[in-house]
Amino acid sequence: MVCSSNQNRSMESHYLLKKQGFDVSSYGTGTHVKLPGPSLREPNVYEFGTPYKHMFDDLRRKDPDLYKRNGILPMLKRNLSVKLAPQRWQDNAADGYFDIVFTFEEKVFDMVLEDLHNRDQVLLKSVLVINLEVKDNHEEAAVGARLALDLCEQIEAVESWEDSIDDIMISFENKHRRKLMYSISFY
Amino acid sequence: MVGIMNPVSREKLASLSNSVKFAIDLGPKLELCRQLKRDLLEEDAAALSEFLPRIFDLYSDPSGPVRKLATEIIGEIGVKHVEFVPEIAPFLITVLEDATPAVARQSISCSIDLFRLTLEKIAIQGLHSSELDSDLESSWSWMLKLKEKIYSIAFQPRSGGIKLVALKFVEAVILLYTPNPNGSPEPPPNEGTPIEFNITWLRGRHPFLNVGDLSIEASQRLVLLLDQLRFPTVKSLTISVIVVLINSLSAIAKKRPAYYGRILPVLLSLDPPSFVIKGVHVYGANNALKNALLSCLKCSHPSAAPWRDRLLGALKEMEAGGPAELALNQVHKVNGSVEDEKDHSSVIKEEKLMTKACDAVGSNVGRKRSGTEDSSDMAENDDVSGKRVKSTPSVSEESTKELNRNTSMSQGDISSTHSTTRKVDVDTGPVQQLVAMFGALVAQGEKAVGSLGILISSISADLLAEVVMANMRNLPPTHPHTDADDELLEDMCIVGSNTQAKYPPSFLVDVVSLSSTFPPIASLLNSQQSVPNEIVIQKTEVDEEVDVVAGPNSTVAYAGMAHEAENALLPGMEKIDVPAQSDIHDVGNLESGIPGLDSSFHNDGLSDAQAASSLVSTDQEDASQEQGTSFGGKSPLHVLPSISIERSEELSPKAAVNDSSGVVSSTATSVVSSHSFVLPKMSAPVVNLSDDQKDDVQKLAYIRIIEAYKQIEVAGGSQVRSSLLAYLGVELPSELDLQKLLREHILSDYINHEGHELTLRVLYRLFGEAEEESDFFSCTTAASAYETFLLAVAETLRDTFPASDKSLSKLLGEAPCLPKSVLNLLECLCSPGISEKAEESQSGDRVTQGLSTVWSLILLRPPIRDVCLKIALQSAVHHLEEVRMKAIRLVANKLYPLPSISQQIEDFAKEMLLSAVNIDAAEVTDAEGLITESHKDSELEKPSNEHQSMSSTGKDISADVLQSETSPSGSSPSVPEAQRCMSLYFALCTKKHSLFGQIFIIYSSASKAVKQAIHRHIPILVRTMGLSSDLLEIISDPPSGSENLLMQVLQTLTEGTVPSAELIFTIKKLFDSKLKDVEILVPVLPFLPGDEVLQLFPYLVNLPLDKFQAALTRLLQGSSHSGPVLSPAEVLIAIHGVDPERDGIPLKKVTDACNACFEQRHIFTQQILAKVLNQLVEQIPLPLLFMRTVLQAIGAFPGLVEFIMEILSRLVSKQIWKYPKLWVGFLKCALLTKPQSFSVLLQLPPPQLENALNRTAALKAPLVAHASQQSIRTSLPRSVLAVLGLSPESQSSSQAQTSQVHTGDTSNSEKDAVAEISKESSGGS
Repeated sequence: MVCSSNQNRSMESHYLLKKQGFDVSSYGTGTHVKLPGPSLREPNVYEFGTPYKHMFDDLRRKDPDLYKRNGILPMLKRNLSVKLAPQRWQDNAADGYFDIVFTFEEKVFDMVLEDLHNRDQVLLKSVLVINLEVKDNHEEAAVGARLALDLCEQIEAVESWEDSIDDIMISFENKHRRKLMYSISFY
Repeated sequence: MVGIMNPVSREKLASLSNSVKFAIDLGPKLELCRQLKRDLLEEDAAALSEFLPRIFDLYSDPSGPVRKLATEIIGEIGVKHVEFVPEIAPFLITVLEDATPAVARQSISCSIDLFRLTLEKIAIQGLHSSELDSDLESSWSWMLKLKEKIYSIAFQPRSGGIKLVALKFVEAVILLYTPNPNGSPEPPPNEGTPIEFNITWLRGRHPFLNVGDLSIEASQRLVLLLDQLRFPTVKSLTISVIVVLINSLSAIAKKRPAYYGRILPVLLSLDPPSFVIKGVHVYGANNALKNALLSCLKCSHPSAAPWRDRLLGALKEMEAGGPAELALNQVHKVNGSVEDEKDHSSVIKEEKLMTKACDAVGSNVGRKRSGTEDSSDMAENDDVSGKRVKSTPSVSEESTKELNRNTSMSQGDISSTHSTTRKVDVDTGPVQQLVAMFGALVAQGEKAVGSLGILISSISADLLAEVVMANMRNLPPTHPHTDADDELLEDMCIVGSNTQAKYPPSFLVDVVSLSSTFPPIASLLNSQQSVPNEIVIQKTEVDEEVDVVAGPNSTVAYAGMAHEAENALLPGMEKIDVPAQSDIHDVGNLESGIPGLDSSFHNDGLSDAQAASSLVSTDQEDASQEQGTSFGGKSPLHVLPSISIERSEELSPKAAVNDSSGVVSSTATSVVSSHSFVLPKMSAPVVNLSDDQKDDVQKLAYIRIIEAYKQIEVAGGSQVRSSLLAYLGVELPSELDLQKLLREHILSDYINHEGHELTLRVLYRLFGEAEEESDFFSCTTAASAYETFLLAVAETLRDTFPASDKSLSKLLGEAPCLPKSVLNLLECLCSPGISEKAEESQSGDRVTQGLSTVWSLILLRPPIRDVCLKIALQSAVHHLEEVRMKAIRLVANKLYPLPSISQQIEDFAKEMLLSAVNIDAAEVTDAEGLITESHKDSELEKPSNEHQSMSSTGKDISADVLQSETSPSGSSPSVPEAQRCMSLYFALCTKKHSLFGQIFIIYSSASKAVKQAIHRHIPILVRTMGLSSDLLEIISDPPSGSENLLMQVLQTLTEGTVPSAELIFTIKKLFDSKLKDVEILVPVLPFLPGDEVLQLFPYLVNLPLDKFQAALTRLLQGSSHSGPVLSPAEVLIAIHGVDPERDGIPLKKVTDACNACFEQRHIFTQQILAKVLNQLVEQIPLPLLFMRTVLQAIGAFPGLVEFIMEILSRLVSKQIWKYPKLWVGFLKCALLTKPQSFSVLLQLPPPQLENALNRTAALKAPLVAHASQQSIRTSLPRSVLAVLGLSPESQSSSQAQTSQVHTGDTSNSEKDAVAEISKESSGGS
């Protein structure tokens, strides 16, 4: 599960899929973890690897009302129950290989693909990269996570996705009326 | 590890492999396999050779994962110990055929590594010696076989996952077989260093491998790969294969630029729509292609360079222009060569002009759309091709002329122009097309005035604002050369003079102001002066571009660029003024310190400013004419300010206060300057601002704009401009502060500043931002800004405006969305007291305001209907009567008729009703808040809609209905609470009568307080409802326990009106079938036919006395229409008709009933009694209570004595003594009425007389005395006299005789009579 800041969309899916018993990780492709601040100009910027707990405490100290109202604090609370800190996709080579990578934004999708292409492809283990466009807000993230779960379950159900991915995609698109994009890369 | 194998580990391995073999469950088996793998890889070759067969054995395992793991193990062994390849390769070949795709794929994966290693090994060995080791040779031949096998998979037209990996294998082989330009050309000196293999190491000196052959093979394979992507083969591939192919090919192209020329044509000719294979899913391949092309674009190898343009074009088509340029820039950063720079700029130029041309065309189309009257004019313009031929020569001439004129332009200017123009061109959306359209229209001059007006009026204000904003990018970011300025200024002046000579002044104003905002237009105006043929102006522009595109000649290109640069500079007219003013201004006004800002500050409204600018231009014209060509002597810069001051003083006294004001710039400029202010001022040499200062500047600028707007309102026409203001307020970076300013402006005078419109514009901007931004944090911020803004405005509206004002409702109705906080605000308004801090100022009017807002929201905004409804419902059970009544009126009269929400309302009301029933000893609620006051019903009733008719036809619950419940009587403290919960339900009952049934159901289980509350409601409720079929149905089958309620309902129903036949029928039926209680009939008694009533009489008599009396009253009064059902006489007779034994009614009840009648003497008068007695006496048998009634009649009306005597004598003739009970009464009556009764007594036959006298001894003496009178005595028979003892001889004998005869029964009747008398005396008195 990859989005840009490893906060909202990817974590929502991570949370959900983890609950459903999937072996799942989540990452962000941005350079920093950006969270909304009091104004557009003053975002809260953290490094990847900063524990969610730290952010939570930090923001709660700054303006509990604001961050509660815009849903940031609840989100962080959810996140810190899932894992320690946001992780960056580009630094995840050590985490082993994945079967499927979900991205939630085309920009992220491109970055993941580019990153995969730039890695040394030694294992020649195919990896399916799927982009599901999800708007970056709390409600849509929840919807997106459910869709991702649905898709994962469908892919899980077939013996090898390489043979039937097109059908899965088409049926998914018809069912949910959501545009999907996928690519295949190798580890 | 040393040569000799440790026996323990060998044993261990053996047992491990055995246990793997015999493990049953998949999980442990795989775990064992992994352990085996770990252990095996640590073993040396000798040990492994022993174990290899065992592992091959493992492959026979039926489960796929185990086979896959076995393959993996074997592959890794192979990688570690190349000497096993001759054994492993055949194995892998067989695995390729495995039925499980994953296993086969694993085989290929292993093969790639194995192949690479073998190749490396053989290559390096060949370099060092001319002889090859035979093992290695056989390994290689096996590897070649394996390779061929995989090739066949890759190029077979079959699909599936295995093909993907096979293709990858092909890619790897091609890469291995071809020289890597970036790799090291020499093999590593010692074998240990890990360095990527490069085929160039071989250089033909290898005994075994021929570089040429290998590269031929590689290129053959490449051709095969490419062929797959060619039409029509590509049609048969799956998307995943296409994606992999594209990725592989782009990787090859990137790593082996030599193949660029072969790969790219294929990739570029891949037409995404052509590979729509299974219908919808094409994006994946499309995206892969895009990425592939992008990555190719990034390649910096020289052989890639020629392809860049085509790549860019293709990417542009795929709408990836932005990233493409970015990529290109990166490339150039890397290369940095001058040549490339040129190349680059020409590309950009080309691109730009292409889009420009498109825009121009688009504008033509757009104009057609706007449908103006001078279509002939446009037709002329649209005729592009015809005109082009004509104008081309003059244009090129012109462009060269311009080139000459602008020779002083530096390269830097060109590049700066580039940066701006490119920015614009990146997004050529509708806005850009509009900009171009405006430009084209203005360029047409006079003829286009009409169309211009129509265009402006036909597009929305928001769009217009966007056009203006978009166009601001065309302003030059840097301050250009002064030399050029002068010249340009001069040009501009001439333009002014030209136009003024030809056009009406009003148009001049427009053109000048427009030209200042539209650089392209300005340029057109500029060219207008020199090109005589006006009609071709637009064409010239287009043609110029076409020329530039067509001509590879760089000079022409530069000419075009120079022209562009000039364009950009033209609007700089205002900019030029700025420093001039600042000079003056800085002297007098140092503390402001920000030059340029003042120019906008002193604007006195747009129209004024426009006028000013037009006048200025005329003056300029004059000035220029006066001064002729000798501009050199006096700079126009000096002329300008002086004129402007003059003008400003004339036009606006306000502005004159600040003498240094520069009204030269129009309002459009003021907006412009504030926006583009950031850039030019930063680069201006005067001041270097820190970030904070920048903020301040922006803020100040914005304040000035707002100030200026206050004046615009006076002049009118702010419709369009408010859009601009809102846009600016949101767009500028330090948005929070600006929004506050904007808010203050709006709220300072909501009505006069068109606050509503402006607020909405701002809200829509913010909302759009919040919705559109996919970026999490910016969209959250925008959403929060939106909320803050809306809430602040709403609060202010609430607090400052009178309650009757509709602004708040309008605002909330039209805002793009309502966040929760705003709804909370509304809730507090509708239900005061929800939050502790509810102010007292929230009077009833505020509630009305809130409720009417909620109502309109429910009607207008279906998505939040539920929330709003909840607010209204909460208010409808509010503890304050006043609030509640208003809310109930809204809910019941207006909302409930809406079919979509009626069910919800019903459910809620029911829930509340039930909750009221379930409240045990409801808490003491403050009943003091019961306020009754007149309400402005109009507030709720006023807004007309389709539901109006519905609610007016249905009976509105009038205020008094609701107020009745407020009548303070609350004996039980929980009554108000019960009312609070139930009022809504009752109100709904009047709308939907079937709901009423629920009240009957809960009634029996309700607490006393609730019952009381219900009873208080019922009369009004039922009266409002009237009799409906629903109600009848409820009445016809009331649940047990609800009798009291039913009674009340019936009473209410019959009060004052004639109950319908159905009702009467229903009640009678109910009485007959279910409910035997005659009480329910009482209300309708007056409406029943007399004979039916008479039948019912026994039941009536049996009622408790008070109820009987009530029934009696009803009967006697009857209804107002039909008169009494029964006359009093009939009633009394009916009562006497009741037989206690037959009807099973205690005698006491009957006597009570009689007594009740006698109590009402005004009804049961003497005459009536006489009549009754007269009738009764004729009855056979005589009524049981007859004598009692007679006695009572005498008691009540002594005047009846004569009449009674008559009765008595009739009784005598009826042999009254045969009725023992009556006989007693008779005697008593006789006793009471003596002496009048003597004559009657004497009529008795002697035995009865004797009996009577014996019974009532008190009679004897007076009777004897009476009879002794001579006149009477003579008339008496002897026997009577004997009884009286007046004939002495017979007296004793007869006395004994009678006493003998009557002994038996007299003793009985004696007792009876005594009892009777005592009873009568107690009842009759």
